[in-house]
Amino acid sequence: MNKNNNDHKTPWDPVFLHARREAVVILVLFTVCFAWSMCVCYFFGYLAPGEERPHAATVLGMPAWAFWGILVPWLAVDAFTIWFCFFFMKDDDLGVAHEGEDLAEQIEHDRASEGKSRDA
Amino acid sequence: MPDDAPAVLTTPAGQGATGALATFAVYILAVFALAYLSGRMLKGRSFLGEYFLGSRSLGMWAFALTFAATSASGGSFMGFPSLVYTHGWVLALWIGSYLVVPIFTMGLLAKRINQIARRTGAITIPDVVRDRFESPTIGVLATLVIVVFMAINLIAQFKGGSIVVQALLEGSPLYESAKNHVAHALAGGESGVVIPFLGTADAGYLIALCLFAVVVVVYTAYGGFRAVVWTDVMQGFVMVAGVVIMLPVALWAVGGLGRATKSLNEMTPPLRVMLEIRTAAAVAEPLVIPNNSWLVVDHGKEGRSVFRTASRAMIDRGQSLARRRVDSGSADDAAHIPGIQITYADHIRTAKPTELAEPVEVAVVEEKPLAYGQNVRGTYVTGPGPHATRAAGFLPLGLAFSFFFMWTFSGAGQPSSMVRLMAFQGSGTLRRAIVTVAIYFSLIYFPIVIIFCCARVLMPGWETQSDRIMPEMAKGLMQWMHSPWLAGLLLAAPFAAVMSTVDSFLLMISSALVRDVYQRNFNPRASDKTIKRLTYTVTLTVGALAVIATIHPPAYLQDVVVYTTSGLSVCFLAPVALALYWPRVNKAGAIAGMVAGLVTHTAMYGIGFAISIYHGQPLEPILLADLDPFLVGLAASVAGSVIVTLITPPPPEHLVKKFFHAPSE
Repeated sequence: MNKNNNDHKTPWDPVFLHARREAVVILVLFTVCFAWSMCVCYFFGYLAPGEERPHAATVLGMPAWAFWGILVPWLAVDAFTIWFCFFFMKDDDLGVAHEGEDLAEQIEHDRASEGKSRDA
Repeated sequence: MPDDAPAVLTTPAGQGATGALATFAVYILAVFALAYLSGRMLKGRSFLGEYFLGSRSLGMWAFALTFAATSASGGSFMGFPSLVYTHGWVLALWIGSYLVVPIFTMGLLAKRINQIARRTGAITIPDVVRDRFESPTIGVLATLVIVVFMAINLIAQFKGGSIVVQALLEGSPLYESAKNHVAHALAGGESGVVIPFLGTADAGYLIALCLFAVVVVVYTAYGGFRAVVWTDVMQGFVMVAGVVIMLPVALWAVGGLGRATKSLNEMTPPLRVMLEIRTAAAVAEPLVIPNNSWLVVDHGKEGRSVFRTASRAMIDRGQSLARRRVDSGSADDAAHIPGIQITYADHIRTAKPTELAEPVEVAVVEEKPLAYGQNVRGTYVTGPGPHATRAAGFLPLGLAFSFFFMWTFSGAGQPSSMVRLMAFQGSGTLRRAIVTVAIYFSLIYFPIVIIFCCARVLMPGWETQSDRIMPEMAKGLMQWMHSPWLAGLLLAAPFAAVMSTVDSFLLMISSALVRDVYQRNFNPRASDKTIKRLTYTVTLTVGALAVIATIHPPAYLQDVVVYTTSGLSVCFLAPVALALYWPRVNKAGAIAGMVAGLVTHTAMYGIGFAISIYHGQPLEPILLADLDPFLVGLAASVAGSVIVTLITPPPPEHLVKKFFHAPSE
């Protein structure tokens, strides 16, 4: 990547670098949540074959596995999201909209192609 | 009934209908007002940019709520409650990944896709990939996938919307009277000549479909993206209000969450049965046994058996045996009536039989036990949850794995979500919107699990038609509260959810046809006036075609929708994500990723559906190691993109410079 950067002799776009760093954090967060929820719910919330559980443990009236495996991480991720958005995520300038630029380029390209075919 | 057993709620027909009708009327007026204002904003702005992208100027509330409302389709308010009701607490894990969905779906791609769309002037997702790789081929491929897949989805959403409207209006005198008139007209009126195509349709469904379609198509076509966004904001508030009101009322009615969970712990699923219903002697007048009738057989000291019918039945004049009748009124000539037998002691004790004109005798002719969880106490509060046909239960570990991935990654890869990421004002708006959506989803999804676990206790027997549990629960709770006017608001929530999804899909298809097919491939020099006329015509035409297709929806529609929804993500997520974050990816890699994902995913569904049809079973895709086709398709898409990119030449330098380097001053 650095080689590529040097070739162009212009710095990487800061929005690209910031967004990539933020995307990595989000992917790590997903992995942690996935591992936690799946492990807690499976080990504490699933019946073994032939098992009955007429007196499942509860916390705040809900099954304990749902409380620890889903509700607690849900609230924790909400808190993390607030931190992430207000203290970690960069406030980048996304630029002005070049409305119609792609279409103008296409028309220019078509015109050039038509010109070439006429010359030929 | 013991003192500690929660009350059972009932919903007589027509309850809350007036409130629902009033809410519906207010709602429609508000929607049209918003569309009118949006239409006015089109004046003096670039038509395409404003009509399809709201001039990239969405503020925090608009961006957050349009994103949330579009994600929360009719499924969130009809299908999901139905699943919670049928399978119990395990749905908390099924929907569990929604804890990370807001930050994932908005944070992962938003900044970059917004930046690149601004840099190129892209208005649609096919625009973005076409511009990013300078490849008309990939633009055409993306457009084709969007148009075909979203058209199928649109039909399903129209059908869902019509069912919601029907549930909303059922029982109101105006609607019932209109239904009778339309039914009479469809049957040929005085002439008796049945109208072709329409004649066999259900009158109530047809009225609901027309109402729903006219409202959505007109406001979407007139107001464009901004109308869609503003109505999404209103619908977003309606949805969250519905849940926030229902939660405490449901908990109050059931006597607290602990009490509900205790009942669920002891509850076993009802037994699916085929019933033979007859009278002691031939009837003098036809006897109708409505769908969802409670039938009780008293065994004296040995207790009672309680059944609920899952189909309308009728005993004809001079007969004594009931035969099944489908909704259009014709007999399907079956003497065995599908139903359920309640197996939970509290519900057996409290069930009240439906009053029929004559007493009937009931006999069980066939029992169809669930493949998993039939007599298992605790099955509603644990995994994998009861299931009718799958011996491993509703959510075996492999599927739980798949769903956790699917909701998150599939949400991020939906073109209808991606296009919203191109429309917000700036990164400050994005940061605040992510937090708003996170709180919004927290207020909706986990509470819905709690509400409809309470519904299992409060409203037994809706396994016969579990899709109706949301409106029935809303009516039941509000009747219990003696606040029928509130039922209207609660019933508007699923309506809002479907509406906010349909309008987005409609606009996506329209933009794909006008911008990506016509303007970019046939007439780049088209004037603003031509594009404007074409856009209105296409949006109205697509809407009209969707209505015609929805009158008699294709068989297996719902199964195909699951395929198309996840198929869109499989096709777009990897190529778009790599296009935004990997400078080395080239157009060959992106096309390979789209095709590999699509082919793998389609093959798993196609082969699975063919096998299911051959064996006469419900349609299911084939699974690899219990993993959903979405995961396998996504893996194939990533592998296809990366491998083909690495074995083909790097992309042109000017593209890398344009999209990955700081713009030169």
